[in-house]
Amino acid sequence: MSLIDLIMDIITFFCIYAIITLSLNFQQGYTGIFNLGLYFPIIVGAIITAYLPGRLAMIVYGIDSKLDFSANNAVVVSILRSKLSSDPLMSVLLLAITLAVVALTCYVLGFLSAYPALKLPADYLALFMLCASESLRVIGMQTDWLAGGVMGITIINPFWWLGGFSYYGMSVFTILATVCIILLYQRMCDSPLGRLLKSIRENELTAESVGKNVNGIKRTTLAFSFMILGLAGVLHAFMMGAVVVGGYTRVDFSFWPWLMMIIGGTGNNIGVFLGTFGLVIMRRIMIVGKHYFWFLPFNVVWFEPILLAIMLMITLVFRPEGILPEKSPSIKDYVRRVLKLES
Amino acid sequence: MIPLPILLTALVYSFILSLLAMGFTLQYITLSVPNLAYATIAFASTYLTLTFSLMGLTPYITMPFAFILGGAISFMLYKFVSFLRDRGTSIVGLMMATIVFDLIIYAGMNIYADYLATVFKIYAGSFSLSEFDFKIFSLPAVLFVSGITSISLVAFFTLMLVKTKFGVAMRAVMENYSLASVHGINTEQILSIAWFFVGGLAGLSGSLYPIWFAMDPWVGARMFISIFAACVVGGLRSIYGSLLGGFIIAFSEVVVTYLISIYFPWVWAYRSVTSMVIAAVALIEMPSGIAGLIQKFRGGR
Repeated sequence: MSLIDLIMDIITFFCIYAIITLSLNFQQGYTGIFNLGLYFPIIVGAIITAYLPGRLAMIVYGIDSKLDFSANNAVVVSILRSKLSSDPLMSVLLLAITLAVVALTCYVLGFLSAYPALKLPADYLALFMLCASESLRVIGMQTDWLAGGVMGITIINPFWWLGGFSYYGMSVFTILATVCIILLYQRMCDSPLGRLLKSIRENELTAESVGKNVNGIKRTTLAFSFMILGLAGVLHAFMMGAVVVGGYTRVDFSFWPWLMMIIGGTGNNIGVFLGTFGLVIMRRIMIVGKHYFWFLPFNVVWFEPILLAIMLMITLVFRPEGILPEKSPSIKDYVRRVLKLES
Repeated sequence: MIPLPILLTALVYSFILSLLAMGFTLQYITLSVPNLAYATIAFASTYLTLTFSLMGLTPYITMPFAFILGGAISFMLYKFVSFLRDRGTSIVGLMMATIVFDLIIYAGMNIYADYLATVFKIYAGSFSLSEFDFKIFSLPAVLFVSGITSISLVAFFTLMLVKTKFGVAMRAVMENYSLASVHGINTEQILSIAWFFVGGLAGLSGSLYPIWFAMDPWVGARMFISIFAACVVGGLRSIYGSLLGGFIIAFSEVVVTYLISIYFPWVWAYRSVTSMVIAAVALIEMPSGIAGLIQKFRGGR
């Protein structure tokens, strides 16, 4: 892997994880919804990406109806590649349709899952969501026609028309999408809505007593973050060029984001951003550098969960509020203080 | 008509699941912290069973060692969680602490499986030890061992709770931690022993699992769904309810799914999802579980 590719790889994975951790921070840090099943909407996004755009393209180009996108995956993807390479409009349209369908589906699912979930105390809500996500993962692995089952499925790249730069095209799109989502979250959190969410987190009863529909707001928050997490699933699937549902594990797509948030500082978007950046760099370097540990009698990737556990342990013991606690000064205040601009 | 292998699978599974559900509930009641590492602690001992079997010993000899292993890990986890709780860590932080252990054990299992594969050329990523089992009355011994173990442990636990001073103290701690502490009960000691015992139960259940079922390092994550479902169906804070919930979930996953799969064969592959569906329905329709229903019935009388 060249240095440019490694940097691009780190940046795009950082972007995907930034979306996930900011969504988690929106749920847990701002609203106090304890959700360990972050990977539920991510899997939904990945499954729809595996199922929808390829089949839509087959219909549009009138590809032999005897061929099945899942069963004859390699042949169909090869045909679609040749078609989409010269059709940027259709490629972009497929990307847009996939994003729209995933956003809508995940929003509805988030809304529906809130009904049983909000009846539960915080700890059992977390367990419920975790188990629901694990169940969806099992369904995805067992259903061959959906996303290739255990073996997975190769999917189209909406930037094939860029030729040799298709990977970079997808990366740039992911970065742009992430910037938009970050700005959206930051705007929401800085607005009166952010303060309302924090008031619900601190004391639901008080929020209710001043006429706020706490359950309704929580439901909408959950649905909105489900929608954004679903989009992260789409971006991840397109970046990988394939979907293997079994790979969407609780460690990679729930526990790691939790660690990123806790290390960065729960309730502080900038802190969460920093935590995500540090850990993504560390993880990617570890994955890329695993070949240097060939002499060990086991795969060095298993050090990753141990490292995660140790870092989590250290954070919980020594700095439970994270690198940048919630009430830390904003960047603007910090710069003012450093430059002694305060009156 | 249900075939014998299906019935036997359901029975062995229900004995194991009931013990696990009971242990999970007990740990939850004592600290009000769901132990996310519970299933992983249970299945760590399966590699102990594998090692003993590879040494040519009967897998059942693992049971006392599995009890100690599960108990020791659970005890360490309790000490860590208790340390954090005393520092005022929130429920989120405490659940994260249990994840720390889950991750370390999960990685440890995979490292050991890799080690066996590299050094001894044994594929330990997925295995079953049913070939090491023997027969009693032409039935697999694991059926009797798991049944007797479950029944005797539940009986022992009940007697301990009712008849011994330790049991009374434990009930007091479970009811009201602060009040029990004020009354001079050594709550720390009681909870340490309780967590060791419950971890031991998990280890014991896990050691029996590969004698009948196929095992891989992800079994813990999958089984957690069933354990959670059993606890929800039984009643979130009822020890004996969770025991009953374990039987209901195990029979639903195996027998009911089998009966449905006679007409819709594809359903069989999704049997582990059945428990989650039941848990979701139970949460909506019957949030206090079977224990709540029994209490309601008694109150109604």
